[in-house]
Amino acid sequence: MTSSILYNFVLSLARAQALSVRQWNLSSSAKTFLEVEHTCLLMPIAGKKGFPDLPVVVEDELDEQFVRGRGPGGQATNKTSNCVVLKHIPSGIVVKCHQTRSVDQNRKIARTILQEKLDVHYKGENSEIMKQKQEQQWKKQEKKRKAKDNLERKRQFKDILEVSSDVTEVKK
Amino acid sequence: MQGKIFFGCRVSLVSCFRAQSRCHNRSDRATFHWAASLTAPNKNLCRLVHETMTGANCVTHWQRIFEQNGISEPQYSSEHIISHVLGGKTIHSLAEKALTRPLTVEQKQMIWNLCSKRLQHVPVQYVIEEWDFRDLTLKIKPPVFIPRPETEELVSLVLSELAEEEDVLFSVGKTRWQNSQQAAHPLFLEIGCGSGAIVLSLLHFFKQSRAVAVDKSPEAVELTRQNAERLCVQHRLQELQLDVLSDSQKLTRICGLVDVIVSNPPYLFHEDMSGLMPEILKHEDHDALDGGADGLDVIKAVLQLAPTVLKDHGKVFLEVDPRHPEMIQNWLQERASLRLTYRATHWDICGKPRFCVLQRS
Repeated sequence: MTSSILYNFVLSLARAQALSVRQWNLSSSAKTFLEVEHTCLLMPIAGKKGFPDLPVVVEDELDEQFVRGRGPGGQATNKTSNCVVLKHIPSGIVVKCHQTRSVDQNRKIARTILQEKLDVHYKGENSEIMKQKQEQQWKKQEKKRKAKDNLERKRQFKDILEVSSDVTEVKK
Repeated sequence: MQGKIFFGCRVSLVSCFRAQSRCHNRSDRATFHWAASLTAPNKNLCRLVHETMTGANCVTHWQRIFEQNGISEPQYSSEHIISHVLGGKTIHSLAEKALTRPLTVEQKQMIWNLCSKRLQHVPVQYVIEEWDFRDLTLKIKPPVFIPRPETEELVSLVLSELAEEEDVLFSVGKTRWQNSQQAAHPLFLEIGCGSGAIVLSLLHFFKQSRAVAVDKSPEAVELTRQNAERLCVQHRLQELQLDVLSDSQKLTRICGLVDVIVSNPPYLFHEDMSGLMPEILKHEDHDALDGGADGLDVIKAVLQLAPTVLKDHGKVFLEVDPRHPEMIQNWLQERASLRLTYRATHWDICGKPRFCVLQRS
């Protein structure tokens, strides 16, 4: 209940994205508008890496704590603490975030971090983060192998050159 | 500068010694020079000019001084001020190198000046003259009201309700397309704009929207304008200095009809004002807080103004005291002529009923 505003906002962003697609189509021609289907763009709650296949975070499974002091809150309090503690009840994973000076931003970042942690938790080896790490490692290995091959090829070419210059000398 | 010692100034030595001994534990035999600053406003402060002071040990040093002087949030205050001087928004945004390299004299001077202000219970936001609100960074200047975290949720609420509306309009079909074009960039009226946090967040999100922002305080109107310029939305915003309690007709004339009224009006009960923390009581504009005996003075004025400036089906979004949702509903029951329907109460992140949504029928 307490986090329902944020949840609704994120959902509405997804709809707004879909909306912007429709609006763009609208401005091009009325006929196109009639023909456009409602494309529901997936709104990945964007983290830095922008993984598309992260698990969906269900707000009802979250317990969010924001310490506002014992006072009445709102206009009656002026505190700079904006640490958000997010607990995912089914898995027990807890994320703490105080990266920014905005509570709203911290709540969003906490959810992104939670998504990534849930991904690792549920999928383990197959999680997006692990996949990305593996891909990076593979790329690194590929690069090394190619460099090695290139070096080998250059060495062979050099040998051939030496041999052919020997031959021309002998001929003379 | 470092070698001078000033005599003849009243200096609070006790706290100096305590702070000094703690610093000693952390430093590597650095020598100390005491200099009572002749420029600091309060001559009771002792300024330590430590030869090898870093950001990190400054944070600890000032945290202790704040604790000893009963300043609220000693650690956060110290971190926010020092990271601001070092160019970061939060202590976490700074690299370890930035926090462990020696501070320049200018940096030390700046830190000392700013922290001295904090010792007077000046709110951190006034000390560093800026604060973040959602994804915006705003300039903040006393005595203009400092945006509270709850109000970030008010903006989220407005955005999510407007997005839902658009969705409904679109799904109804082609015949409503004209209306929905207008709804795609709603016209806003904010009453009590303060630093401009709410209205500027809305203009930042709705790139083609326009807004009118009203405040009783000339400083607030000026600050909103400055923030609008920093965010490059000033051409879509009209600011008015106006008191809705006395000049509502003037507002109606200038404003025209809007889609949304949004407000975080002064809503504290007058009897609660004296119990406020010194940061608020001594430094923020009381007119931005005091809502009269029942906290509803300005809220009632906003609701009475609504029929004259709201389009059909236009909405009013308010941030209020937790006691208000029920009081407002009761008050509305006797005022059917306003043609305002109470739509919903929403709770804030601390679980308090904080936001009211009303609609013109």
